[in-house]
Amino acid sequence: MDNAAEITPQAPTQAMIQACDVNVYYGDDHAIRNVNLDIAPKTVTALIGPSGCGKSTFLRCINRMNDTIASCRITGTITLDGQDIYDKSIDVVQLRARVGMVFQKPNPFPKSIYDNVAYGPRIHGLARNHTELDQIVFTSLQKSGLWDEVKDRLDTPGTSLSGGQQQRLCIARTIAVNPEVILMDEPCSALDPIATAVIEELVAELKERFAIVFVTHSMQQAARISQKTAFFYLGEIIEFGDTTQIFTNPRVEKTKDYITGRYG
Amino acid sequence: MIDMKQGTIWETKEMQARLRRRYRKERIFKSVGLGGLLVGLLALAILVASVLDTGLSGFRETRLKIDIYMNPEIIGNVKNLHGDAWTKQVRDVDYGALIRNSLRTKFPDAKSRHDIFGLLKLVSSDARVEIMNRLIKDRNIIGKTIPINLLSSSIVDMYEKGQILRSSDASTRKISNKQLAWLDKLQAEGRVTSQFNWTFLTSGDSREPELAGILGAAVGSFLTLLVTLAIAFPIGVATAIYLEEFAPKNKWTDLIEININNLAAVPSIIFGLLGLAIFLNIFNIPRSSPLVGGLTLSLMTLPTLIIASRAAIRAVPPSIRDAAISMGASPVQTQLHHVLPLSMPGILTGTILGMAQALGETAPLLMIGMVAFIVDIPKGVLDAAAVLPVQIFLWADSPERGFMEKTSAAIIVLLVFLVLMNGLAIWMRHKFERRW
Repeated sequence: MDNAAEITPQAPTQAMIQACDVNVYYGDDHAIRNVNLDIAPKTVTALIGPSGCGKSTFLRCINRMNDTIASCRITGTITLDGQDIYDKSIDVVQLRARVGMVFQKPNPFPKSIYDNVAYGPRIHGLARNHTELDQIVFTSLQKSGLWDEVKDRLDTPGTSLSGGQQQRLCIARTIAVNPEVILMDEPCSALDPIATAVIEELVAELKERFAIVFVTHSMQQAARISQKTAFFYLGEIIEFGDTTQIFTNPRVEKTKDYITGRYG
Repeated sequence: MIDMKQGTIWETKEMQARLRRRYRKERIFKSVGLGGLLVGLLALAILVASVLDTGLSGFRETRLKIDIYMNPEIIGNVKNLHGDAWTKQVRDVDYGALIRNSLRTKFPDAKSRHDIFGLLKLVSSDARVEIMNRLIKDRNIIGKTIPINLLSSSIVDMYEKGQILRSSDASTRKISNKQLAWLDKLQAEGRVTSQFNWTFLTSGDSREPELAGILGAAVGSFLTLLVTLAIAFPIGVATAIYLEEFAPKNKWTDLIEININNLAAVPSIIFGLLGLAIFLNIFNIPRSSPLVGGLTLSLMTLPTLIIASRAAIRAVPPSIRDAAISMGASPVQTQLHHVLPLSMPGILTGTILGMAQALGETAPLLMIGMVAFIVDIPKGVLDAAAVLPVQIFLWADSPERGFMEKTSAAIIVLLVFLVLMNGLAIWMRHKFERRW
């Protein structure tokens, strides 16, 4: 028993999310093939790989965002805290409150900054009164490092902020419902290097409380922020392990080729 | 020609010619567009000018100041009557005789029956009511001779507005030489005046052009549009949301979509036949009522509204839906909190354009009996009513010359309605528009 735990570094008891033989089809297109992946709590797990390799598709399976695509079909199981999230008894709305998501392009609602952050708590009934709601908004904006920049203009539209601020507003909006996992789909790809650095710092802080799954195209970014890295190629996971190991000593030739820039 | 080492030489003759051709093409393209715009504007200007030219005089009326002797013998002994007896007596007075006697005093040369008849034709049949109203207001005028500004008849009105010419052949002219002479006399004494025609804006239809008003048709149009809006808007928006956001994409929804697009192109009179068959014959809704008109027009407007609403919903960026869904908003919450508010400007614009189309629709209403001659102003959606375009159609069809300017005046009222509605659409669009 002890031996087995040593051999598999991701012991089942530690994993928060377990994907087991996940296959995703878009119509006839087989987008994800037999993916097995364990995601640990309080860890940043980076998903890297060339465009179209299925990173985002896999990410969107974790909070069932793929349900909105009619042609999408999923087999295999994904469990969150031991519960199969594709089980009929699971309420999708609740699942998405537990598994938050930040998108590639900042997409704040065309409402005030306050309403953006308060939206989740409002629809899920997380605050009993205005004071509590104010508190949630304050905490979330503070955790996302946005409070000092927007505290005097909470009633201005969220869309009036700069790109980097908008993305942090989206993060604040996500953590306002107190999720267990945050999925981030290339959240810095539309941002300048300074805004990117701010988000990266934020991710490092957030991982103290949340499990974070982070899709990125930048090797350096994955190396900087993640503890675990999964390399996707053509819908398969080629290699999954500690980030330091993947970047310094990849076990598979393809991984090595990719991170050294041979293709992708 | 192409020499990659030397780079492209732009100064050659061929290149210059190419450049000139490109400029010429752009000039032609621009001038064709501008020409089209100008032709359109010219057509609009001609339309508006001709309608205003004939129609504006419809908003004026001619009045003749006649000294009326309130002959106590004709009026009878009413001084001491009160309540119902007074009302009855006042109603029964022969006002025609008052007018006849007064006019004969003024123009003693009118002796024959024919002349007197012509004399009476100078004032409107409504003049009697005007005198009655004066009497009701003040019974002390009995026995006195008082000047009253009586509404002129349509022929006098037409003559004063220059629509009947003195120079035209007297045998076919609507106004006789004698009538003209009397009129000249009144004119010389400054008794002929022109004033704003409140009757036109405050009364219903009439057989007499000078008494015909647009209010009945305007109220009818308003009530009809209200019914149309109340039915078409919720059904149309709900259908659009369902088709766009919830319906599975399969053969059946494709079929429905094709049918909706086809319905938008179906001639409107077909909807009139449908309304006749269903609403009148099966449901027995009162004919020519705004309710049945509104129901029929809402059938006609629905396809337009659904198509416009679907386009507006589709224009909401998917990223907003993603954001809402990823926050754990249910599908209904996503629609009500995000998609609908963002698509509202587009939906409202489509709705108003659909309403404007319904406002101008005539053909289907003819099928459901809204073409009747209705004098009363409708008080509810079940009363018989006319609508503006049908009123225009009816007046345009009337033989009396006086209705010609009324027709154009009604067109002006309809156009004002349309401009107001489109203005409202622009205002709403501006008000509800949010950027993202």
